[in-house]
Amino acid sequence: MSTVMKIENIEAKIGEKKILKGLNLELEAGKVHAIMGPNGAGKSTLSKTIVGHYDVEVTGGDITYKGKSIIDMDPEERALEGIFLSFQHPVEIPGVNNAYFLRTALNAKRKHEGKEELNAAEFLRLMKGHLEMLGMKSDMISRSLNEGFSGGEKKRNEILQMLILEPEVIILDEIDSGLDIDALRQVSEGINKMKDGKRTFLVITHYSRILDYIEPDYIHVLKDGEVIKTAGPELVPYLEEHGYDGIKED
Amino acid sequence: MNLITLKNKSTQEVASALNVEGRELLLEKFASLGLPHKMTEEYHYFDVEKLLNVDYKTLDYLPKSIEESDKIEIVDGVVTKAPKGMRVHFEPAGILDMDHFDGLYYLGHLLSPRTIKIEIDGDSEVEILHRFTQSNTLINYRIVLANQANRHTLVYENFEADNIENSLVLYGYDMHIAKDSTLRLVRLQTMKDKQYSMVASHKINVAKNANAILKNFDFGGDQALQVLKVELAERAHVDAGHLLYLNDDSKRGTASQIIHRGEHSTSKQIAKNILDAQARGIFDALIRVEHSAKFTKAEQNAKSILLHKKAYMASKPQLEIYIDELEASHGSTTGQLDEKQLFYLQSRGISYIEARKILVIAFANTLIEEVKDTRHQDRIKAAFEAVFYASNKG
Ligand SMILES: Nc1ncnc2c1ncn2[C@@H]1O[C@H](COP(=O)(O)OP(=O)(O)O)[C@@H](O)[C@H]1O
Ligand SMILES: [Mg+2]
Repeated sequence: MSTVMKIENIEAKIGEKKILKGLNLELEAGKVHAIMGPNGAGKSTLSKTIVGHYDVEVTGGDITYKGKSIIDMDPEERALEGIFLSFQHPVEIPGVNNAYFLRTALNAKRKHEGKEELNAAEFLRLMKGHLEMLGMKSDMISRSLNEGFSGGEKKRNEILQMLILEPEVIILDEIDSGLDIDALRQVSEGINKMKDGKRTFLVITHYSRILDYIEPDYIHVLKDGEVIKTAGPELVPYLEEHGYDGIKED
Repeated sequence: MNLITLKNKSTQEVASALNVEGRELLLEKFASLGLPHKMTEEYHYFDVEKLLNVDYKTLDYLPKSIEESDKIEIVDGVVTKAPKGMRVHFEPAGILDMDHFDGLYYLGHLLSPRTIKIEIDGDSEVEILHRFTQSNTLINYRIVLANQANRHTLVYENFEADNIENSLVLYGYDMHIAKDSTLRLVRLQTMKDKQYSMVASHKINVAKNANAILKNFDFGGDQALQVLKVELAERAHVDAGHLLYLNDDSKRGTASQIIHRGEHSTSKQIAKNILDAQARGIFDALIRVEHSAKFTKAEQNAKSILLHKKAYMASKPQLEIYIDELEASHGSTTGQLDEKQLFYLQSRGISYIEARKILVIAFANTLIEEVKDTRHQDRIKAAFEAVFYASNKG
C-alpha cells in the first residue's frame, strides 16, 4: 500500500480544551476513507487540523503528506500542494463575486504549477459542464460567494471548488448534511467523478446515508479524540444497528 | 504668511493682515467664528492648528490664458485649461452662505477675493483636475459651481501633486444645484505623506426637487479634512457616499452637516472607512431636520474596519430632529477583517495578502460600484489597490 498522508499521535487543542488526544490515521492513496463518530467526537477538529485552521493549536504529533511534514505550513500552501477541505459550514462572503473567487483560486493553483492563468472566457467555458452536473443555475456564480445560498447550494459550491481545483487529498466534512435526495445524488456524482484511483478521500459523516453513494474502502471510528477502530465497509451496517457504544477498540 | 497670527483678532486687524477692503460681513463672520482649533466641534479629531501654524509662501493667483483641453485644470489655484465652450470665469463670488459653521469657509473667501466660477450648461460631464506644484506654500482658492434647472450634470474631481512637500491647500466649493436637476460629483483624492495637507470647506445648496449625488474617495496618507454643509430645499435629495482608506499616520475624513429645510426632502449618507497602520479616520456627520422639514427621510450609516491595532476611527453619525413626521435611521459599527472569511479564501490556495485584499475591496465595493462609468470606476479601483500594496508588501 502507498500512504499519501500519515497522521501520527496528533494532539490538538481548541482554546483550552484538548480535543484530539493522540490520534493516528493513515490514508492510503487512491482510496475512500470514511470517518464516522458521534457528535462532538472531534471529526471537524481533525479536518481543521489537517488544513491548518487558526482555531486549532497542535500540541503534539505530526502530519506528513507525501512524506513531508505539513504541520508548519500555511493553509494556502497546503491547499496549493493539493489538500482540500469541503467545510461543514462554508462561510458567506458578501461583496466577493463567486466566479471571481473561483477563478482567483484556480489561477493561484495554476500559477503554483507553472501553468498559464485562465482568462474570464476560458474559465466560464470550463465551468459550464460542472454547473450542469451539479444542478447549479449559472446565476449561482455571478452572486456573492455563498451569500444567501441555501445549505444545499453551499455544499454544491464546495463540490464545484473541488472539481475546479482537482486536489489530491479531499476531505469532505458532513457533505451530506442538509441535502435532499436529489442534491445528495448530484453531489455524490461530482465526488465520484473525481475518483480516479489516485485521489484520496476522507469522508466525514455521522450518517451512513452518503456511503450508499460513495463506496468507502475503509471505515474509521473516531470517538473522544481518537481513532478507536478501523475496518472495511462491512462495519457500516453494524454501526447502524448498534451505534458507537458497542464498538470494541482495535 | 502664518495663518495662526489671525487667532483672536478683531475685524480691523484681520482686514489689514489680509489686505482686504470692504467685505465687512465676511470679516465679521470670520472674526466671530475665529480660526478653528481643537475645541471647535468639527475639528475635534483633526489637528488643524498645527497645519495653520506654519510660515507658508503665498501666491498671487494672476489669471492665465486658458488652453483648450478635455478637462478643467486648476494649477495651484489658477485655471490653466478648460474644454471648449465651457464657461469658466475668474470673478468675485456671488451669494455666499452667511450662516456657515466653519471659520475656514469665511477665511477661504477672504483670502480669495475672486473665485473660479464654473457654469455648466445642459446635460454634461466635466472633469476638474487640481494640480499642486509648489512646496511650503499656502494654496488657497474658491470655486463657485452652478448647473442649470432640469439638467443632469456629472463632475469628476481629481487631484495630482508634483514632487512637492509641506504645502497647505485651502479650497472649497459653493455649489448651486438648480431646481429639478441632478448633479453627480465623483471625487477621488489619493494623497501621499508630506506632500500637501488640505482643508476643504464646501457649501452645497440643493434646490427644490434637485438631487445631489456626492461620492467621495479619500485614499492614502497625509492630513485632510473635508468640511461639508449641505442644505436641502423642498423635495431635494442628497446621496453622500464616503469611502476612506488610509495608511501611514494619516489623519483624514469628513465633518459634515446635512440640513433638511424643505418638506419631503431626503438624505442618505453612507460612510465606509478602512484604516491601516496608524491612520486615524474621521466621520463626524450631523443630519439636522428643521421644523420646516416635515415628512423627510434621513438615513445615515458608518462602517469601519481597522486593519491594524494602532489604527483608529472617530465615527460620530448624529441626527438632530425637530419634528415628529419623519423616517430616520442611523448606525455605526467598527470591526476587523473576518478571520473565518480570510481562512476560507486561504484554504483555497489564495495567499494571505491577496485574501486580505479581496476582503478589503469587498467591503469597499458597494461604494466603488456606484460609480457607473467603467473608466472612472477602474481608476478608483487602481488607486485603491495602490494604497493597499503600499502597506501590504508581499
Ligand atoms: N471553536 C471552538 N471553540 C470551543 N470548542 C470547540 C470549538 N470547536 C469545537 N469545539 C469542541 O470540540 C469538540 C469537538 O468538536 P468537533 O470537532 O466539531 O466535533 P464533531 O465534528 O465530531 O462533531 C466538541 O466538544 C466541541 O464543542
Ligand atoms: Mg463536525
